[in-house]
Amino acid sequence: MTGISLDRRTVLTGLGAAAAMTGLSPAALGQTKANLVVIGGGFGGATAAKFLKLFLPSSSVTLIEPNETYYACPFSNLVIGGGREMSAQAFTLDRLRGYGVDIVRARAEAVDGAARTVTLSDGSTLSWDRLVMSPGIDMRWGALEGYDEAATEAMPHAWKAGTQTTLLRHQLEAMEDGGLVVMSAPAAPFRCPPGPYERASLIANYLKTYKPNSKLLLLDAKDSFSKQPLFQQAWAERYPDHLEWRGASDFGRVVRVDPQAMTVFTEFDEIQADVANIIPPQKAGAIADAAGVADQTGWCPIDGLAFESTLVPGIHVLGDATIAAPMPKSAFSANLQAKVCAAQIARLMAGREPQASVLANTCYSYIADDAAVSITGVYTNDGGALTNVEGAGGLSPMDGGPAVREAEAAQAAAWFRTITAEAFG
Amino acid sequence: MTRQAGRWLAAALMGAVAGLSACAPDGAGPVEEKDAAALAVPGRTAQLALACSGCHGPSGGAIVSLEGYSKAELSTALTLYKSDEDGTTVMNRLMRGYSAEDIEAISTYLADEGPR
Repeated sequence: MTGISLDRRTVLTGLGAAAAMTGLSPAALGQTKANLVVIGGGFGGATAAKFLKLFLPSSSVTLIEPNETYYACPFSNLVIGGGREMSAQAFTLDRLRGYGVDIVRARAEAVDGAARTVTLSDGSTLSWDRLVMSPGIDMRWGALEGYDEAATEAMPHAWKAGTQTTLLRHQLEAMEDGGLVVMSAPAAPFRCPPGPYERASLIANYLKTYKPNSKLLLLDAKDSFSKQPLFQQAWAERYPDHLEWRGASDFGRVVRVDPQAMTVFTEFDEIQADVANIIPPQKAGAIADAAGVADQTGWCPIDGLAFESTLVPGIHVLGDATIAAPMPKSAFSANLQAKVCAAQIARLMAGREPQASVLANTCYSYIADDAAVSITGVYTNDGGALTNVEGAGGLSPMDGGPAVREAEAAQAAAWFRTITAEAFG
Repeated sequence: MTRQAGRWLAAALMGAVAGLSACAPDGAGPVEEKDAAALAVPGRTAQLALACSGCHGPSGGAIVSLEGYSKAELSTALTLYKSDEDGTTVMNRLMRGYSAEDIEAISTYLADEGPR
């Protein structure tokens, strides 16, 4: 027997004991035999599968994910900046089997919300009592003129971690000193709101250290962005000669790219790039649209209590694909939403209504290899709408100084170890 | 690491048992059916506590593990975070969003009241 099974048995015994002590039959939770299917093996889906099995041990939990290796987006900007190996971003779902989760290595191609089935790329069909979808994002190809899937070879987005991440890293390494790196950040909403600015910081850090005659130009479709005062403070202190940000009011919005010529067009000018990192407009992962849970915005409306789709009952949607603002599209959000959703599904299976609680988010961003800043939020889901708890949350102190920035970098690293262990360990 | 993660999950979920034993130490005391159901099926308290485990794993380090603390220790620390500015962590900013009742509930849920 593996350590995992042993620990799981301890958990189940614990829950059984709780029920026995209260005069309830341990069967109250443990014998619910539902078919639960989870689509997507990222932070949301992997966490949901594990916690569904923990809360509903007699139910079958099937996790559908075509990729053998999952590359985590958080911390992938450190890979792009040269401070981290890509192998540190790689995770598999294998250990979830030890918790009793069935892993199916296939792509979910169709979802029938009325018949309650999922059709997979291998032709098989699974039926479900509750379906949890954590499909992440897809790019809106063509929303930015000239930027299609083929363009990502010349101008990587690197907004899904993996080969795109290493491609951008290699392009930066291959660039001659004196080159111009151009980044394009999209309008909201998009995955990881502070991500483009963390990436810009770490690319600037690389240029300053290894290619001091080079520069990064960050073109932005917005005038304001996440953690803006902290990033701009860091840029002024650390990268005054290596990073220039142009907001929408200064013609920062990219309107067209030419990947062959390596040119990027704003409404004002045409810029010749040596390396171009185009982060395009996004939408929920394609299966969300196929399942009918995405609306005309391309994202998925949910009730904030159980993360159940407001369009198709019985389907729960988590993570970046959802319209959950003010909760951001982050790994932290997806992980917590998954745990809360699993708890609410356990309630629904026991014939209870979902119950309101308090949710939170923390996103760390590195401003250099050994310095980070953070943003937090606290949210209630009373009545089904996610709303900010007033007076809570906010940014790292502006006057924190190097000691606080270094402490937050260490905390960020600890967070990454913990959340990946909870999701995939 | 896997083993530790499993242990943390066990600790988090078994917090429900520890909290219950505080009310009925012999394990056989009369407990209202309503309370029993609230513990058996994950309710508000369990959901509040689920937010902790994304950062607070069993290994500790730059973010402390929550294992082995009493209810009083947890509740005192969380309440202090709520009122004291602490620029080196996110805890002040987070705890400002939680009521005194929520802090009590989380502390009870996570506490390890057993022998150290």
